[in-house]
Amino acid sequence: CHGNGSTLLNSVDQLMHTLMFSHILICSCMEPELDLMLRLVLQLSNQMPVDQEWSNVWPGPRTFHPASVPLPIRQGFPNKRQAPPGKFGNAELMKIPNFLHLTPPAIKKHCESLKQFCTEWPKGLTSEEQEKLFPMEVITSDYCHSSPVIRDPMARIVTLKINLNSLILDNHAKDKLLRLVENCYDPDTNVITIMADRCPLKQQNYDYIMYVLTALYHEAWKKETWEQEKSEADMEFYNWANSVSRQNILSYLSLSSNDTTNDTSPHLSEYEQAVSELFNQGEDDYTLFKYKESTKKLFVLHEDQTL
Amino acid sequence: HVLSEVKEGFGNQINLCRDRGLSLRPPAPKSDTLPLDHQLANAPVVLSQTTEDGKIELDQLYKLVELEVKGHDTAVLKSYEWFAKTAARELGITVGNCWSLRKPNKNRLTLLKSVFIYKKHRVQYEIRTQFHFLQFHNLTGSTADTFLEYIQRNLPEGVAMKVTKVAVQALPKHLVPPEQAVNVEESK
Repeated sequence: CHGNGSTLLNSVDQLMHTLMFSHILICSCMEPELDLMLRLVLQLSNQMPVDQEWSNVWPGPRTFHPASVPLPIRQGFPNKRQAPPGKFGNAELMKIPNFLHLTPPAIKKHCESLKQFCTEWPKGLTSEEQEKLFPMEVITSDYCHSSPVIRDPMARIVTLKINLNSLILDNHAKDKLLRLVENCYDPDTNVITIMADRCPLKQQNYDYIMYVLTALYHEAWKKETWEQEKSEADMEFYNWANSVSRQNILSYLSLSSNDTTNDTSPHLSEYEQAVSELFNQGEDDYTLFKYKESTKKLFVLHEDQTL
Repeated sequence: HVLSEVKEGFGNQINLCRDRGLSLRPPAPKSDTLPLDHQLANAPVVLSQTTEDGKIELDQLYKLVELEVKGHDTAVLKSYEWFAKTAARELGITVGNCWSLRKPNKNRLTLLKSVFIYKKHRVQYEIRTQFHFLQFHNLTGSTADTFLEYIQRNLPEGVAMKVTKVAVQALPKHLVPPEQAVNVEESK
């Protein structure tokens, strides 16, 4: 409730008050209270201006120094009917790392001087375009331990993730690539993951991964002579395009009606689907029903045409 | 070690502009040749630095940078998370998901309490490790290096960090289908 101009008077008042108080206490006091008073006097004599630059007082990481921090901090387990221990001689406060050097204005200052080293993310690079232009993902890990050693053997691991859609492959190449890659392919996301940790250095593992990718890709496009020897009996799935069923249907349809446009009729594609499902997914109520319906449709159409 | 000097010194200014210990890509450019001048939209940012053989080194693009911070004290990790998020916002980095595991990982040792005999009486010690995760999206190589170096220099004692970077790269130019179908001959 004092005016603005009387700050000097205030501090003198406070000092007088404290000295009076300490005089009373010195006569009939115990040691902790004497220490407390001395400290109060010391602290008052070390008054910091309120508008000081805190980052100049505490520029770097430092163990807690109670006289330099003008805050009434208490830390520790309180004894019965007492407050937690104060900041002077408090081992708990000194043990724990403090962030007094990283106050918001200090962080702002640091970041201002760091901005010149940063570059912006390319504007207008949407996620679709990003996937199109940069389809490969290379995942690496770095480790920073709380020790003087900067090395960690796990840092050599490099992983590559690539979506199959971004590679130019025809049917044969795709099939061969998937066979070569086996477990590394995830059918849900259509992504191939290749991991390398065989070399001691990250750069070496990265080069190895690029080599593996190149080798896989080019091997997939190669056609070995023995691949042509694959017969109907070797096929793992039913392929309509080369099947006897297709030939039969087409010959029958072309016999009955003299036009050869039946190849593209929608009912034929439905029939193709039904037959493929029957063979590939097995016989159950649904596939058999579908087969029946598509056959009826195919021949019903045919009868219409003859009529 | 430079790092230990910075931590213990009182009165050492962290003036990162002048600090020669920084190992950034590129080396500190002069104030009148900022790399931002060369930025093009819809293209990876071109650094103004040319390597010895005259090639221009392109900035890496990171889709995601994930920090896994391990420590013994949740309060320290929480403060560190706040610091990292604030620094990221100041530098214009998109902050993603940040979460911590509710329970620590406890590594227990059961040892003999007595020096000699009394096998039935043991004493147990445990080391608790708390985990904290931070994710940042869409960073360029230089930004990532700068940000990570700043964060790591201010890593408190007793805290470890694992940085996982997901870099997006263009397909190598040699991954094109062969012009003619390659039929491997058995006689070869």
